[in-house]
Amino acid sequence: MNRPGWKLALFIAAGCIPLAQNAYYTTFAFTILVAFVLAQSWDWVAGEMGYVNLGHYVFYGIGAYAFAIALVGKYPSGVAMLFALLITALAAALLAFPLFRLKGDYFAFGTLALLPLAEVLALNLVPITNGSDGIVLPPENVLTRAYFVVLVVCVIAAIVSVRLARNRFGYALKSIRNDEEVAEVMGVRIFPAKVAVVVLAAAFAGVAGAIQAWQMSFIDPGTVFGLNVALVPVAMALLGGSGLLWGPLVGVLLLATMQQWLLVNVKGYQATIYGTVILLIGRFMPGGLLRAGWVRERSWLRGLTQEHHERITGVQEARTEAQSGMRELPLVPRKTDRGRALLECRDLTMAFGGNVAIDRVNLKIMEGEIVGLVGANGSGKTTLFNCISKVHEPRSGGVFIDGVALAGRRRDEVAHLGVGRTYQIPRPFGDLTVQENIAVPLMFGEDRLQPREALAQAREFVAYAELESRLTDRADSLSLQEKKALEFARALACKPRVLLVDEVASGLTPAEIRRFVEQIRDVRDRYGITVIWVEHIFSALAQVVDRVVVLEQGLVIADGPLNEVVADERVLRTYLGGVAPKVPAVHA
Amino acid sequence: MSIEALVQVLIGGILLGGLYALVAFGLSLIYGVVRILNFSHGTLLAVGGVAASLLYASFKLHPVVLMLILVPALFVFGYLFYTFLLQPLEKRSHFESTVGTVLVTVGALLILSDVTAKLAGATQRNIPIRFEAIEIGEIVISTTQIWILAAIAVLTIAMQVFLRRTWFGRAIRAVTQDPVGARICGVDSSRMKAATFAFGSSIVAVAAVLYTMSFPVDPYMGFGLTVKAFTIIILGGIGNLVGALLAGLFLGVAEGLTGFFWKSEWAPALSVILLLVILVVFPKGLGRSR
Repeated sequence: MNRPGWKLALFIAAGCIPLAQNAYYTTFAFTILVAFVLAQSWDWVAGEMGYVNLGHYVFYGIGAYAFAIALVGKYPSGVAMLFALLITALAAALLAFPLFRLKGDYFAFGTLALLPLAEVLALNLVPITNGSDGIVLPPENVLTRAYFVVLVVCVIAAIVSVRLARNRFGYALKSIRNDEEVAEVMGVRIFPAKVAVVVLAAAFAGVAGAIQAWQMSFIDPGTVFGLNVALVPVAMALLGGSGLLWGPLVGVLLLATMQQWLLVNVKGYQATIYGTVILLIGRFMPGGLLRAGWVRERSWLRGLTQEHHERITGVQEARTEAQSGMRELPLVPRKTDRGRALLECRDLTMAFGGNVAIDRVNLKIMEGEIVGLVGANGSGKTTLFNCISKVHEPRSGGVFIDGVALAGRRRDEVAHLGVGRTYQIPRPFGDLTVQENIAVPLMFGEDRLQPREALAQAREFVAYAELESRLTDRADSLSLQEKKALEFARALACKPRVLLVDEVASGLTPAEIRRFVEQIRDVRDRYGITVIWVEHIFSALAQVVDRVVVLEQGLVIADGPLNEVVADERVLRTYLGGVAPKVPAVHA
Repeated sequence: MSIEALVQVLIGGILLGGLYALVAFGLSLIYGVVRILNFSHGTLLAVGGVAASLLYASFKLHPVVLMLILVPALFVFGYLFYTFLLQPLEKRSHFESTVGTVLVTVGALLILSDVTAKLAGATQRNIPIRFEAIEIGEIVISTTQIWILAAIAVLTIAMQVFLRRTWFGRAIRAVTQDPVGARICGVDSSRMKAATFAFGSSIVAVAAVLYTMSFPVDPYMGFGLTVKAFTIIILGGIGNLVGALLAGLFLGVAEGLTGFFWKSEWAPALSVILLLVILVVFPKGLGRSR
């Protein structure tokens, strides 16, 4: 199905249907096309971004009403269509603000609650909507014209889907789907992306509603906001396979055919049968028909069943010459000035309720330094990192990067100021490939690379992390060591000035630890990246750090060269333990 | 617009709000333990209410007897529904299990309403039981209303005691806070989930009988109730019964006042608008979850 001929044939076949002059078949095909626009646009939000918008149909209804009202108001159909598009886009943009406060099930619920709201509004705003009587449009046979309009909209929707699979906006959505916090830390500006995709999807749904209203020449609240019709496109997309390029289309064809059959052959219990179908899809194949084992095994269906990550097959332009020793990274070496403070914490305090995790920390990290940050578990090391990368908003005090205050800045802005970080427990974008994981920060960093260039450049980071054999594998299939290597490489792909490394060596073998030590030294020596390394393994720290900062219950208790710090009495007592030379006697 | 009429509306609102809160208790317990938003939760009230009114019409059963029939019935329904249709989805990936549970519970909602409407008719029904009215000045309160209010109060207290003092209640709270931790401490969380789902559903049976005694029910009203219960949970905090009761009373009274001062047609929209407003103004929720 990857040959363009198939798609063209499909399009031409769809275009020929009205030529048969059979109103029954044309209407049926028309219904399928409208459903496809709805199912496909729904899947941009769900399949690409991972937000289950059960109220998508509301936008269809709004579009239908806007169109009907404009047409009754004697505007030409083209103008009415444009009006419907703008109104739905506006409604979606406004609704995005409350709705994106919600996540997961809550989002699904909040959006579903829009349906009864819209129905109440349509029933009661009688002067505008004519209440339960509905709106009758000027009688006119527009089936053929409506058919070709919706066919064009379908083609545009299909093109958008193909583009979204590969373009930068699509990658913003995919990173949001996997882990919003990490996406933001990697430089993706998430909220505008979320609003944009909902507005885009809503605009398509609104146009679909407008075309449907045009063809039916009658709408009332039940037909465009009813609960039992509203979930049909959702069920279609899921039946085919949400997030798969061909999923919505397959689902639409199957379910629409079934619906038509039921309409002709079964009287009554329509909603029951429909509910049963929805229930069974949810129970037995929420991943979709195209992900079922017996479908995936069919080699002639490969083109239909390919997952997104299976379509990414590396980009050829990467350098492949064998190098001895450390590979090179596509980073611009920075000149470092040891006399200049790159990162500074001033009286930084962070508390969770009454628990003070970071207590008035004052810290200066000089450009080009490698600083070890140690302390017992719970002493505030990761919290300090979280305050710097803005995962937490500090309660008081401030963090400065090269003199620029981070207060009031978003995580992606902090990333653009030059902060890259890893997580103690690796958080890769699980359903993207290793290469794509690294391409995300390259696309959303200062260089704003196009996906093609970013994927090519990502290869060099992958080579540096010695993960070439896993280049096109999903990141969630990696082992712990591989995930840690990926995490480190992805942080480097942010092209940071200061790199926050959180326990990258714990749980690894001595050889693997040695490699990280060498890489940390290498990125500083060759590229001038300043490093703060949280680690418990002193032998590893000892090989590279310029100095060590010790935290204890949120306070900095020691700051200096490693050999001095390990001799410090307080450090011995509170962190290293056991060998404290003198414990103050109680009965002195 | 007399003061007496206003008081009457307030009493009606408190009654309605208390019933909303009962429905919300079940939804909240289920969400806390099973992490599933059961979209068909309110529909159970509609089905239970229709069943109760039919049983009353045929056999003139006392409301308490109706509860004794419906509570075990919905308990068994909830247990089977969860065990056979929802539990198997837990093994799937996060997105698939989210989508799967939504589809299963929405499918159940459509089936339950449609089958009930086909079997019992899509008309509004109630339990036309009338105790004598008490008149205080111009204000008329029926003893039915007093009994229902008393039942709501007793149930809320009983639930609170149950959650704090019994083994099962403590286990529910433990799993709500940390499922893995609870399992390590010997709480069999998969059986707990099924039991909680069943228990949460059976609370609806009590609410269904009480609701049908004072307000009409129809097969399609369920989803509106689910939306209200959800708004109440957001307002009051997951697993917070007192918060849910207060939120329920607030919503019930607000709906009553909307009808009194404006038009009752707008009352159903109130909860959704309230929900959207809360989300904008208080993004972190009002109540603390427990």
